[in-house]
Amino acid sequence: MARDRFMKMKAGGYNTVDIYFNWNYHSIRQGEYDFTGIKDVRKVLKAAQDVGLFVIARPGPFINAEVNAGGLPFWLLRMEDVIPRNRKGTEYHYSEKYMEYIAEWYDHIIPIIREFDNIILFQIENEYATDTMEEDYMRKLYQMARDRGITCPIFHNDAYFAGLWADCVDIYALDLYPYINPNQNWKQDNFCFDTLDNVEDIFRCAKENSPPFIAEMQSGWFDKWDGLGYKHIRDALGDEHINIMTKTAISQGVTLFNHYMVAGGTNWGDLACDEVYTSYEFTAPIDEFGIPQSNYFKSKELNYFLDSFDLTCTEPKDFEFSQENIYAKLRHDNINNCDWLFIRNMNPESTEIKLPNGKSIILKPYDMKICPIDLCLKACEVEFSDLEIFARLQNDEEETIFLLADKNANIYIKDYETVNGNRKNYDHFTLEKDGKKTQFVFLTKDLADRSWLLGDKMIFNADYVLPNGVAAVERNTEIAYYDLKYKFSTKTCIVNEFRDYTKPKTLKISSVEFCSPEIDIDYDYSNWEKVGEKTDSLSCELYDEFVWYKTQIPNNLTEITLSARHLFAVYINGKEVLNRNSYKIEKLQEVPETISIPLNEKVLNKEINELTILVQNLGFDKGFSGDTNNPRGLVICETTPQIPLDFRVCEKLSLERKDWRESDNPYLTKITANFDIDFKDDIFFAKYISFEDFRCRRATIFLNGVKIGRYIKRTHVQDKFYLINEFLKPHNTLEIVVWEKDRNVKSPWGFKFDMKNVKIKLGTFKKYQLFK
Amino acid sequence: MVVVPEFLIKRIYQKGSLKKTDDGACVTLKNVLGPGFISGFNYVKINDVVYEPSEVKFVTNGQELLGTEVSEANPVAFRLGQSGTLIMTGKLSVNDGLNKIVIEAMNPEAGKVVLSVEDTV
Repeated sequence: MARDRFMKMKAGGYNTVDIYFNWNYHSIRQGEYDFTGIKDVRKVLKAAQDVGLFVIARPGPFINAEVNAGGLPFWLLRMEDVIPRNRKGTEYHYSEKYMEYIAEWYDHIIPIIREFDNIILFQIENEYATDTMEEDYMRKLYQMARDRGITCPIFHNDAYFAGLWADCVDIYALDLYPYINPNQNWKQDNFCFDTLDNVEDIFRCAKENSPPFIAEMQSGWFDKWDGLGYKHIRDALGDEHINIMTKTAISQGVTLFNHYMVAGGTNWGDLACDEVYTSYEFTAPIDEFGIPQSNYFKSKELNYFLDSFDLTCTEPKDFEFSQENIYAKLRHDNINNCDWLFIRNMNPESTEIKLPNGKSIILKPYDMKICPIDLCLKACEVEFSDLEIFARLQNDEEETIFLLADKNANIYIKDYETVNGNRKNYDHFTLEKDGKKTQFVFLTKDLADRSWLLGDKMIFNADYVLPNGVAAVERNTEIAYYDLKYKFSTKTCIVNEFRDYTKPKTLKISSVEFCSPEIDIDYDYSNWEKVGEKTDSLSCELYDEFVWYKTQIPNNLTEITLSARHLFAVYINGKEVLNRNSYKIEKLQEVPETISIPLNEKVLNKEINELTILVQNLGFDKGFSGDTNNPRGLVICETTPQIPLDFRVCEKLSLERKDWRESDNPYLTKITANFDIDFKDDIFFAKYISFEDFRCRRATIFLNGVKIGRYIKRTHVQDKFYLINEFLKPHNTLEIVVWEKDRNVKSPWGFKFDMKNVKIKLGTFKKYQLFK
Repeated sequence: MVVVPEFLIKRIYQKGSLKKTDDGACVTLKNVLGPGFISGFNYVKINDVVYEPSEVKFVTNGQELLGTEVSEANPVAFRLGQSGTLIMTGKLSVNDGLNKIVIEAMNPEAGKVVLSVEDTV
């Protein structure tokens, strides 16, 4: 998958990929490190190297707020002498033991990173700050990286754009997310770009002679369990947002930027923190399923332009201009010896802008352009153009400039007529001077989206073209090739087999089995671990999503009081007495919930009764707030009258532990379906399973034994789950463990019968045929 | 949730802006951190005197809002570089000399934000 995404990044004009190295993912148990199989980071780095991408390495230790425990290993969180991230809340507390464990991680990961010569930047920590900003933690991390042979520049990403840690690193970098609240309308509240519009000053004040670097520059945003869904965010951002972000950043002299994220992801296994769900689509230019989206095409335009005209050595130039809701910035370019006018319209309607140079331009709402002024080309000089440049091909004698057709825009060429952009695809004109030639070719936006710059060639009409020249198309297409030597040639690509693949098919359920023997009264749990007074996940060293607790209770109890995170169910003598989703966020804070269950002789119908509790932990606290020790699992369990409870515990579902048998109780049900995939080398596909018509409220999804998703109906944020190609085989087994049935289903056996008829659909998001 | 360290929050307070008024006090805030919204004023405390949202007015950008009018549903925009004055009424609280000021406000992205400073009159 990494190779596919890297190739699409490269095809979109990106030259660098930023990669996290997740300590937690590689170190499940203290002292154990796994870099094999799907965790083989060498393969990922090799893929980046093969594709021709540079790498920004981000090994943390803390990497990202939306991954489980921020990427810190679970075993580390429970250690009493370790203070994760050297802070409690925002108070600084240096912990020598924590630093020792980081050294252990760096000792494992840095030698692997060092094997590759395409690492250009190395990040320490992530969006870190404390109240008092003691520097020894960051300085120590810097030194630890250097001591282990990191020779490239080291940076940190300041989330507060306040010059934090600038003196501790080689390059000062910051993160910029003007849109972090999906309830916000960024077009209406357009002041959200205030910081970006002044970011050059922040960089200059923070660190002299440091290239302005936006380590995370918003290209999308993540959704949460209680969020509005990725469609809402993608619609809200459109492709205008990434256009404004990137062009404004360049207008502020930014020469290094990292669109965060370029490729969306999937939180399979236990990768997610509690805040986010399985899809980490992020409304990225390349979506979770590897499909280029409209913001990809917009970023491709920008990347191709930057590949064609090097804007890394510019300086601000005075520009007297003022018009309501119009941002304008002029920069002199010392490489191309011209000026660039960056101009943005934040009015909700198309706006005519009268420039001091006497030119007038019309900008669409929320559009931004980069306009050349006095740009010398091989055979002419562009006095001004609000027709945007898409890309340039050139050799010593001639060049072809591809322009984006726009009927409201013009190019003014000295000693030549003004050319309006109301043009069709491939319309062109050529100028010659002193034996040199400049040709202008027009592309409409639609064709530009399907045009690909590949070395000294431009390829048209493909859905995408990989760096190795493979063209992907969804339907029969005539692909056109253009280069300066041979000019145009064409190739017809016939797509044979794609017949209505968009319609999902209902999978045949092969079996429905009750799969929670742990709840049965005859279940032998004598080999489970005994735990002490503290029953939370970290205290019990149980880091899995699912934790079972079992004990015996007498029949004289009147009440049991519990607090558990995040979802849990209580069973007494094999009968469910409570099933609860305790996940609750208020004012951005997780709110613990304590619940009391009254008991009576109907429930406690034996002298000695068996109590079983199953807790689902959606992820450890993200640690962004420094609150990594917020308990998970069973946090409180008290009885009235109070008696000591001697729990035995076990993690994972029986299916995962591979010791399951069909249970007597109906509370957890395993639905199995099988399907085949016809793999072909010349076809790219992205498949999913759909729960749109699913009649259950909570489920965990396994594909060929790998946990690939969590379904919680209440939130309605996700009902399609990506079937990651790496986990697919020619013959596949899909197992869905349903934990909470629909309330309309009354009897267990009716439920089992209903499950047989449940609708789980297998669908295909996209299919492309690949042509060499 | 973004957690803003104390030293950064303090930068919002305009040193020397604490004034004693006929029936309370006022202070000036200036947003030097980044564009955003205030989605609530929980309280303002000057020395031992606590002003509830109904006793606090926020005057900014030509608007005058009672603390109770600012909420998640009705947040007030606070742009980068924008100033605002908090006017507390109904109780005297400011002493000559050093005063301790605590302002607890809400932000949609950072949650509860507590500004704790000292200022001299």
